[in-house]
Amino acid sequence: MHTLLLQAILLLILIAITLSIIFSDDLMASVIIYCAFSFITMLLYIVMGAPDVAFTEAVIGVISTIIFIMLLRTIKRKTKSKKK
Amino acid sequence: MKKYLIIPLLIMLIVLPFVFFDVLPSIGDMKSAPNTHVSDYYIENSIKDAYSENMVTAVIVDFRAFDTLLETTVMFLAGISVMIILASRPRAAQRMRSTLDAKKSKIKSIAPVFKTINKDVMITIIEPIILIYALYVLFHGEISLGGGFQAGALIGMVYLLDVLVIPDRHNLYRMSKSNSAMIAGLGTFIYCLCGILTLIGGGIFLEYSNLPLPLTEAMKHSMGILMVEIGVTVGVAGTIITIINSIMERVRFDDDNY
Repeated sequence: MHTLLLQAILLLILIAITLSIIFSDDLMASVIIYCAFSFITMLLYIVMGAPDVAFTEAVIGVISTIIFIMLLRTIKRKTKSKKK
Repeated sequence: MKKYLIIPLLIMLIVLPFVFFDVLPSIGDMKSAPNTHVSDYYIENSIKDAYSENMVTAVIVDFRAFDTLLETTVMFLAGISVMIILASRPRAAQRMRSTLDAKKSKIKSIAPVFKTINKDVMITIIEPIILIYALYVLFHGEISLGGGFQAGALIGMVYLLDVLVIPDRHNLYRMSKSNSAMIAGLGTFIYCLCGILTLIGGGIFLEYSNLPLPLTEAMKHSMGILMVEIGVTVGVAGTIITIINSIMERVRFDDDNY
């Protein structure tokens, strides 16, 4: 029962993180929040009882975040804001 | 762009009430289809058949070795396709580049340098510890959690950190793009070689108890699992290094254009 409650909380946090990734103006911010996404996914795997998958998720999450930040140099970071 | 994002969200909200979640088995249900036949057999016989204390390793590398072989191949192909896509040079950009060559603006470094991290700390402390941990994960994966994929990803991460923090290091510590792709293929080759050795010993493909070695059956199983894990490690590390190298070249190329 407790693990089910924990899973529900983590899944709600995942939904909130996903929405904030989609609706953020700055690409750098989305990449950093994506790192948080993979971290919460890792916690979810641990709660579900799969530490092997959680280990893989932790390492791959770090690598993909660094690669995204490297690739951000080549494109424009910010989308057009509506105020200007 | 964001205007059209509402449409899939609306469709999702409309469809959601009509999906019957009762059809899906609940978590940990002992009567659902995957839990009735296969799981029980794995749980009871993983030590007896595969001689591996970690059940996950037994399932991934021993019971389902074909799956893992094809997974490694798919990852190798993904690395090569990333290399090919990033190495292709559009013609318009090439023309623009030839016009820009005359100006020859200041040369930027390949990677963003994190100047707050001390290079000596990086070389002497952080990288060796991560490498030792990768080897521990590789060789201890039969008993504790971990295995080939994680160890390969850790080795790739060491290369990534090295490239980022010390961009102007000697060429001895760098790997060319084609060499790293070759190493990624070598990992898959080691995996297949293990299967061919079992064929020579008279068994079917990847049946570890028929390895042609003068050992007991448990030792044969652990040697086979270790060989396969080493192959997976080399393949994953080579793939990650290939992706990093091709991204580096592309970033440098794009910087020249601006």
